[in-house]
Amino acid sequence: MGALGALRTSNVIRFSLCALVLTCVSARSLPAQGESSPAAQFEKRRQRLLDVVSQERDRGFFTVTSKFITGRDTEWAMAMLDSLTTDEGIGGMFYSYTAIGTYLRLKDQLPDSIKRKIRQAYRTRTMYRGDTENHWVMYYTGIYLAAQTWPNEDRSQWFNGKSSTENFKEAEQWLNRWMNITSTIGQGEFDSPTYFIVFMTPVLTLYEFAKDPAMKRKAQMTADLLFADFAVDHLGGNYCGGHSRDYPDDIANPLSAPAALWAWLYFGEPKTELWGETRYHPRHRGGWETASGATSSYRLPEIIYRIATDRSRPYIHTETKRVRNIIRFGPEKNPPAYKYMYMTRSYALGSLQGGILQPIQQHTWDVTYISEKPNNTIFTLHPFYSGKELAMFFPEEQKFLSDEVNRYHLVYTNPNKWNSSSPYEQTFQHKDAIIVLYNIDKEARQSHIDGFFPKTLDERIEHNSGWIFCRAGSVYVAFFPLKPYEWIEEKVNWRWRSSVAKNGVVTEVGSSDEDGSFEEFQHRIVKSKPAFNNFDKTFTVHYKTRRGDEMKFTFGGERTLNGKKVDFRTYKFFNGPFIQSERGSGIVKMTYENRVRELDFNKVIIKEWQQSKQ
Amino acid sequence: MSPSSNEANHIFHRRGAECAENRRERRPTSSALLRVLCGSALRTITLKNAKSLHRVATRCVILIVLLASGWSESLLARQDTLYMSVLNSRKHRLGALDNPTVGLFVSTDAGATWKHRGWTGYIRTFYTESGPDGVLWSACGNGVLRSSDNGVKWRITTGWEVTEVLKVKVDPSKPSVVYAATAYGVFRTEDSGETWKERNVGFLKPFVSDVVLDRSTTNRLLAASEDGVYLSANAGKRWQLTGLKGKGVRTILQHPKEKSIFFAGTEEDGFFSSSDGGKSWQQSNKGLKQLTIYTIACDRSDAEVLFVGTHGGGVYRSSDRGKSWRQIIEGLDNLVVHSLLVLPSNPSILFAATLNGGLFKSTDRGEHWSFNSQEEGQVWGLSAR
Repeated sequence: MGALGALRTSNVIRFSLCALVLTCVSARSLPAQGESSPAAQFEKRRQRLLDVVSQERDRGFFTVTSKFITGRDTEWAMAMLDSLTTDEGIGGMFYSYTAIGTYLRLKDQLPDSIKRKIRQAYRTRTMYRGDTENHWVMYYTGIYLAAQTWPNEDRSQWFNGKSSTENFKEAEQWLNRWMNITSTIGQGEFDSPTYFIVFMTPVLTLYEFAKDPAMKRKAQMTADLLFADFAVDHLGGNYCGGHSRDYPDDIANPLSAPAALWAWLYFGEPKTELWGETRYHPRHRGGWETASGATSSYRLPEIIYRIATDRSRPYIHTETKRVRNIIRFGPEKNPPAYKYMYMTRSYALGSLQGGILQPIQQHTWDVTYISEKPNNTIFTLHPFYSGKELAMFFPEEQKFLSDEVNRYHLVYTNPNKWNSSSPYEQTFQHKDAIIVLYNIDKEARQSHIDGFFPKTLDERIEHNSGWIFCRAGSVYVAFFPLKPYEWIEEKVNWRWRSSVAKNGVVTEVGSSDEDGSFEEFQHRIVKSKPAFNNFDKTFTVHYKTRRGDEMKFTFGGERTLNGKKVDFRTYKFFNGPFIQSERGSGIVKMTYENRVRELDFNKVIIKEWQQSKQ
Repeated sequence: MSPSSNEANHIFHRRGAECAENRRERRPTSSALLRVLCGSALRTITLKNAKSLHRVATRCVILIVLLASGWSESLLARQDTLYMSVLNSRKHRLGALDNPTVGLFVSTDAGATWKHRGWTGYIRTFYTESGPDGVLWSACGNGVLRSSDNGVKWRITTGWEVTEVLKVKVDPSKPSVVYAATAYGVFRTEDSGETWKERNVGFLKPFVSDVVLDRSTTNRLLAASEDGVYLSANAGKRWQLTGLKGKGVRTILQHPKEKSIFFAGTEEDGFFSSSDGGKSWQQSNKGLKQLTIYTIACDRSDAEVLFVGTHGGGVYRSSDRGKSWRQIIEGLDNLVVHSLLVLPSNPSILFAATLNGGLFKSTDRGEHWSFNSQEEGQVWGLSAR
């Protein structure tokens, strides 16, 4: 039996019934029609994006697809596609899913000669599976769809010596496994403003072209989940708070991150068209992966759009994710990563608990605020690096790894880098206050901590109380360093640097909404000064927030709030006003006002209903 | 760790005409010539034919001249096929159109020339070994690869469960049985890679860099784990820590002649030897300035001679079976040596595989080295058949 023949009849019946139920439900939940409806606005942005991308001449499948869909410059597109299918030098996981995605999208428009070349690519190209979660999602999406497209072919017809059936089965197993893990204990490469796109594009491609209704539905639910995960951390196009992975430029300038263009397309924020905004130096132009969203039949459920954009009330949202596979030097393969977010209409303060949750590109905490100016964020970090950290996650020799990683990520060993995990950094956040402590080992290669303060701040004041106050429009940030520091002027920012190994900072954020004027905010803050007597021995800081909550945090010890111990282990998979899920349950419930959308990954069904108003 | 970036496709370039290269060469090789010369001479002597003796003498003279003229090295060595696994190159750049070809390279002339085999793109090839039946097995990031036509076509024999494969070891007595040492433990096939089974019961930390099949006892294995040396008496069904607890063991080698003797190289603690089949281990670092040992090699012609490849110290030689060590790095431009190979047919010839410095060769048992191939290459593994 061929790969497609493996589809079970019972599945088909089951999912046909589900589809029927959902159609009825969806009809009820459709957004209000009209020019201003979210759906109508999305259509406009979708068309606009395709229009822009189809005018580009980047060498890539997304540009080619956009040209064919819009009917613009198709001769060039055909030549480019021919080149992409002929060039034996191109391969790997990026090729794996984009080539077959383009084939399936355009097959009615392509000549047989091009189709044969695409087929041939899966016979001859080196398709590296990669060594990260996003690599595998891309690789197996490509293998799944290619094996689905060319079933019943024997081992000699595939680059990897596996038959269509073998390839399909392997890809199907892994994709199901990944979606199950993602919906129960979370992604390893979670909440990444950069890598978000290399999950979304294959997932949408899978949704679009998987013939198995179960796989198609699961891909749709996973797309919902990833968008919802982004939505709760989203503010004005910014992917806020802690991230598993991101690039320094995007950490320092959040709207330049590739996810911002997805926010523009699906959430309608930021309002500006990012490709025209040189101040954001958008990196997402190169691949134009967002075009895969613009060409997809997937539509964002309105409830997720509302979650992403309704900032009428501040909220706390917590999540549990997982650490990427630890292959050595750790007691557990996938320890939990805990995330805390406090969101308002003008700023967000978000954090991970600290430590090594991801190698190389971790971003542990930040304040991100709405601003017309770039570099709208403040954060600190310890620029840690070590071969042993890398060897926790990669199998190559630990003494070889630092230099090797530096070749590709360029800044890994740089003392001035803006992304880093560190075993010597821990956080404790409550609402819009956070204590970040550092206990840097004597043997650590970098013994300083750095803070990013953008030059675009409207004010930066060093108060004689020890607090540093910043203002960006109506957003206020109070920053208290425990130890001496210096300022270093750089191109877009002031680098706050402290070279004391046992160290920490306390940050509290406010805005005119709650605090009135900047002066009033300062007045409220200086009333309470962090207490850290004998810190070098106790590693303990007490801080009473401007709202009167008492936080106590000991590095390597307890976090207490108003005398009560905070235990991360009680964190749910998602917990906040908009998304709720028990860890391991496989059921993710989204709520907005009286609307509910529930993703049940166990039964692979989506339910929507309206609950009575309380 | 790999070249991973979403904004740049991995662009690999095929070094042309490898298909033609893959075909066995038809012209007579020098080793064939040697066989003709010697074989013919012996047959002729056996005939005791006086007339032929003149021809024998003539051929012997030719042979002596050839040997004296420096052909000896390659003539003698051409019985060996060498496999060089190149993980990557320091020249590799994301998105570049002229990235070097990496992966498997094969030499049948003692490293005088190397020919690429199989995929040219980056799949993280760590190690390649040929079984007694001539089947090639590669340990790769993509899994365990198998080729039964000398590397022309490959099949990934493993599924998604097996990844980050660092070593493969073929059972010399039963070539359908292969073990894979991976970052996720040991896997075993007994049907030439059609199916694989995880063999990790007993490991506290399953990261395994190397696995050795004890030639003295069927189904007895030793594994170099991140937590010490593990032993299995039943083909990996169950493992037990046997020594070097808590030490990251990078490599294990069984002595080529005395089967009860094993050697181990560690991440931080240098060289160890065992004379009781791996049950107990003795540290022996006299003369070693660098204690990260990635590889150990033996001189089959002299049971006392050992070599180790280190991180930062290049190559060390021992003439007393590892009791003391002497650094031998003249001409070795890169001192991170990840694999060593003593040419089986000519132990004067050594190869040192370096990380980011390519392959080096010595023709005088390591006293002097010269660059051989793979400029700035990360040559991860070497083997010979």
